[in-house]
Amino acid sequence: MIKTRYWLTLLLLAAILAGCASFSASSQAQDAGRLVIYSGRSESLVAPIIEQFSQASGIKVEVRYGNTSELAATLLEEGKNSPADVFYAQDPGGLGAVANAGLLAELPNETLDKVESRFRSAQGLWVGISGRARVVVYNTQLLKAEDLPADLFGFTEPRWKGKIGWAPTNASFQAMVTAMRQMWGEEKTRQWLVGILANQPVVYDGNTAVVAAVGSGEIEVGFVNHYYLYRFLREQGNSFPARNHFMNNGGPDSLVMVSGIGRLATSKNEENALKFINFLLSPVAQQYFAGQTYEYPLVAGVQTEADLPPLESLNSAGITVDQLADLEGTLNLLRETGVLP
Amino acid sequence: MKEPLIKCDHLKKAYHTQPAVEDVSLHVYEGEILAVVGPSGCGKTTTLRLIAGFERPERGEIWMQGRLLSSPDIFVPPEKRRIGVVFQDYALFPHLTVFENVAFGLRKQPHPQVNRQVNQMLELVGLNHLGKRMPHELSGGERQRVALARALAPRPQVLLLDEPFSSLDLDLRLKLREEVRTLLKGMGLTALFVTHDQEEALYMGDRLAIMNEGVVQQLDQPEVIFSQPINPFVAEFMGSANFLPGRVVEQGIETEIGLIPQQVSLPAGSEVELAVRADDIGFDLKGPANGVILSRVFKGVMNVYKVRLHSGMVLEAFQPHYRLFAEGQPVRVFADAGHELACFHNGAAVKGDERHLDGVTKD
Amino acid sequence: MYLPAALVALAMSLPLLYLVVRASAAGRSAWNWLLRAQTLQIMGQSVGLALAVMLAALILGVLLAWLVSRTDLPGRSIWSALLPLPLVIPSYVGAYLFVSFFAPRGLLQNLLEGWLGIERLPSVYGFWGAWLVLTLMTYPYIFLAARAVFSRGDRSQEEAARSLGCSPLETFWRVTLPQLRPALAASSLLVGLYVLRDFGAVSILRFTTFTRAIYLQYQSSIDRSAAALLSLVLILVTVGFLIAEQRIRRSAAENPHTAVHPAEVIRLGGWQVAALGVVFLILLFGLIFPTGVLFYWLIRGLLAGERIANWLGPLLGSVSSAGLAAMVTVVFAFPVSVLSVRRSNWLSQILERWSYIGYAVPGIVVALALVFFGANFVPGLYQTLFMLLFAYVILFLPQAMGSIQSSLRMVQRSLEEAAASLGENPLRVFQRVTLPLITPGVASAAAVVFLTTMKELPATLLLAPTGFSTLATQVWGAVSEAYFARAAAPALILILASSISMFLINHHATLSGSSQRQ
Repeated sequence: MIKTRYWLTLLLLAAILAGCASFSASSQAQDAGRLVIYSGRSESLVAPIIEQFSQASGIKVEVRYGNTSELAATLLEEGKNSPADVFYAQDPGGLGAVANAGLLAELPNETLDKVESRFRSAQGLWVGISGRARVVVYNTQLLKAEDLPADLFGFTEPRWKGKIGWAPTNASFQAMVTAMRQMWGEEKTRQWLVGILANQPVVYDGNTAVVAAVGSGEIEVGFVNHYYLYRFLREQGNSFPARNHFMNNGGPDSLVMVSGIGRLATSKNEENALKFINFLLSPVAQQYFAGQTYEYPLVAGVQTEADLPPLESLNSAGITVDQLADLEGTLNLLRETGVLP
Repeated sequence: MKEPLIKCDHLKKAYHTQPAVEDVSLHVYEGEILAVVGPSGCGKTTTLRLIAGFERPERGEIWMQGRLLSSPDIFVPPEKRRIGVVFQDYALFPHLTVFENVAFGLRKQPHPQVNRQVNQMLELVGLNHLGKRMPHELSGGERQRVALARALAPRPQVLLLDEPFSSLDLDLRLKLREEVRTLLKGMGLTALFVTHDQEEALYMGDRLAIMNEGVVQQLDQPEVIFSQPINPFVAEFMGSANFLPGRVVEQGIETEIGLIPQQVSLPAGSEVELAVRADDIGFDLKGPANGVILSRVFKGVMNVYKVRLHSGMVLEAFQPHYRLFAEGQPVRVFADAGHELACFHNGAAVKGDERHLDGVTKD
Repeated sequence: MYLPAALVALAMSLPLLYLVVRASAAGRSAWNWLLRAQTLQIMGQSVGLALAVMLAALILGVLLAWLVSRTDLPGRSIWSALLPLPLVIPSYVGAYLFVSFFAPRGLLQNLLEGWLGIERLPSVYGFWGAWLVLTLMTYPYIFLAARAVFSRGDRSQEEAARSLGCSPLETFWRVTLPQLRPALAASSLLVGLYVLRDFGAVSILRFTTFTRAIYLQYQSSIDRSAAALLSLVLILVTVGFLIAEQRIRRSAAENPHTAVHPAEVIRLGGWQVAALGVVFLILLFGLIFPTGVLFYWLIRGLLAGERIANWLGPLLGSVSSAGLAAMVTVVFAFPVSVLSVRRSNWLSQILERWSYIGYAVPGIVVALALVFFGANFVPGLYQTLFMLLFAYVILFLPQAMGSIQSSLRMVQRSLEEAAASLGENPLRVFQRVTLPLITPGVASAAAVVFLTTMKELPATLLLAPTGFSTLATQVWGAVSEAYFARAAAPALILILASSISMFLINHHATLSGSSQRQ
């Protein structure tokens, strides 16, 4: 009896010590210094490229992974005392909030100029790194590409009743609705929302779930971002019965959203931060996004994956990311129409 | 002879760790209190639990008023037996008030009647002002009385009491047992009272059942058991017995303290043991000494002496308070019983000559 | 005792302070939204779900605890160790697995279609799905509490009831169950609050609750003020639950009695099959299916060439933080628990209730509160393990309290008084007399905190030292990006590590519990 207790205690102590050791600040600060990243992009997506940066530059990088909006809220709470150097966000909403609170520092022009003006903040407070396009994912066993309507508004027709899936809580969806409000106007957007609702769409809490559901046949079409499909294809093979359909009509339905990065004004590692941002905009990193995560590289001259339509053909002329960052109106509309609780 | 209210025939029950009941037969008449007594582990509590219906016998039968309650095939569950139980640890329900505890068994009756009965019971045990208290607020004696009131409230046919006073202090114990006996007799209840205290058994019981090692050794009136114990164990258990070896001769039994003129139905020369109670022994300074006083304890009412015979055997003897002998004093010890002594041969009682039985009637 | 308890209560107040500060800046739109009729309906749905889950978890938990500690169910020591395990599965993972299994076109349906040609399964979404999944995940709270009481049961009272005319069922209802009441009240409160503040499961199962609305405020508009306002409302609802629980508990009179005879074992006879069936069914849905799906993902992923990411670091991270959290939380829980049991006046009651604040709001709120205070007031401690542990204490203190309180109630005061009379000062009395007697309860408290910390997410993400990862964060990172295979391995390890800890603590608890009965 006593033996078990001792053994147990020892084990627990060992585990605790090991755990403490694994994170305690190792005082081997390399010459090149350090960098603290708050990343709303998940570890599985960006850890490899960050690791590459760390190896190449010799900078010791510490990353805090989390949900973009939660990290944004954290930054807002931390205020001037934030230990973060850069904020790498999954979508512009979080960046916008942080920027509006005056927490981001202006980026140098040479960095900003690497991407088109529509993919960076107008005040130069943050820059887009990679892009994702809105698509309609459809089940290949039940539909052919020709069966799909020419634009999103077509999905309000009765024949689509019970066959649509969407994730209205998702940031990209809300960005798309914001774009709709800008390009179609408030009224038409409202009609679209109401029309889709009339078709009793199945509600999911994320893009992943929508794609999974389309693949299993639970629904026939879904409104998602393009790159999720590739995860499924990779894990389950090409026989996964779903494919992306790009609307390609220059409207809000083929919106491109970017993940972006900004430097904290209170950062003590300005040089390292800029190095990192520039690294992400370098061909090496951009190729990584194209090849590994199936996103759109935003820097000119980098190849996309074979079957993605070129970036230029998509979008929504005139929509800037800053405009997309304004969510309040969208949220009100979504609540009024009952799409969101 | 009237039929007993409760009859147990050859009960047997065994556990892995708990003491067993080997072969228990007993009977209780209506209106009487049977005290079941014996040393720790003798099976008395198990017997009580068998009667209550908390255990099933492996063999044997339990009858109550012509109704079979337990047998290896038949088993009437405890809630259908109408047998009340007072537990050693009282087992009061801690989440109910005193009133609610006592009223517990009266569920099926209309409210005003319940009220009346409970209050009556509480008054009977002297607790009518404590109805609203919770068990943990009561003293030991009070809890005991609540347990009693609770068991009696539904007017059971029989009451079983399992060492109910064992956790109380002496004064309280003496007081309570008097109250309880009076109460039971006043209500004309039939009861089975289990205790390990021989003195308590003598007080409470109309009849006694002495148990040892899972078997009832003797079941009879206290006086009979006392004067005619059926074996040395019973004799010893009833207290203050010295076992004096002796040899049967024509005139009686030859012992170290002299010839006991008692006839027994054994051939001459047989080796026997006599149970000589401490009050059966006398001392004398006259005559040849066969022993020496070892010690004297003055108890006020009497002196308790230990005297050592020449053979080395030590006897305990009571003497009146005025008969004083010093330690080390040689004395002549003799038998001064005034009645027949219990005599054992090979562990069993030997029948004596019946002429010498002194006016003790048996039912 | 009052001073430490007050300090603990003060510490608990940090989230509340934060909420009040933030909520005061809430804009008009937040207030407008709050006062809609529809919002009331959402609140009603939340409360309704909480109550429904509480009821189901109560019935299930008590039944299973009874089967495992009072009957002759075959294999009951194994079931006893397995049945609390659904607690270790994070709710978002559990819901996800549940859905993938039971979805209209999920795994089960595919299987069944192959065998039996079944095309449609009843819908797993909405209220009933949420109710089912949450019940399966929360019944262990009730189970553990009930089992602790049952295993200390005393035979005499039940026999007394039988001798007074009660059938076995009546005895259970009138004698056994009422004495379970304090333990059941406390644990069902935990269940109810868990449901109220759960976000992961209800969003996957598509049931709109008030907490989901709070999360949306953070997610979509990053409106901390609006979120704070809603959180305060949630706290109000929680207060309602707290008051109700207090009433139901009724000043549980100290019932200290060391069981003289262990309670009799009920023979199930023909019911054995049915009982085993129930146990197996629960384990099937609560443990076997989820683990099965995880294995399926893992194999599928491995076959497709996925590598298993480094899990040793996160494992050590999980175990160390959970272990420390368990110890620290239990220690912090002592002052308040002791006070509320031994000196139950209004002050100690308030202090005790106050400690539930951390449990009343979603984890993200507590996390942000500590971010706010940590970064701005104690930057030296910010993002250290200490802060994280502090967060865990705030979040999980009530869980530890309930168990410690109920085991304290079972210790006779006379024992402590005897020790005092023999010359031991209060601390030594505690150490030599009380502590050994309440070890099973303390172990149970530590176990529950350990398990819930293992799967904790929002506070860990925001407050742990940068670079510190746990199995839970690893799982989340993978699931949120649909890398199921990558999620499967750490999830399985999480379940395994938690199960082993559960077994060990169980073993120790039952050992010391049974040795006390002799």
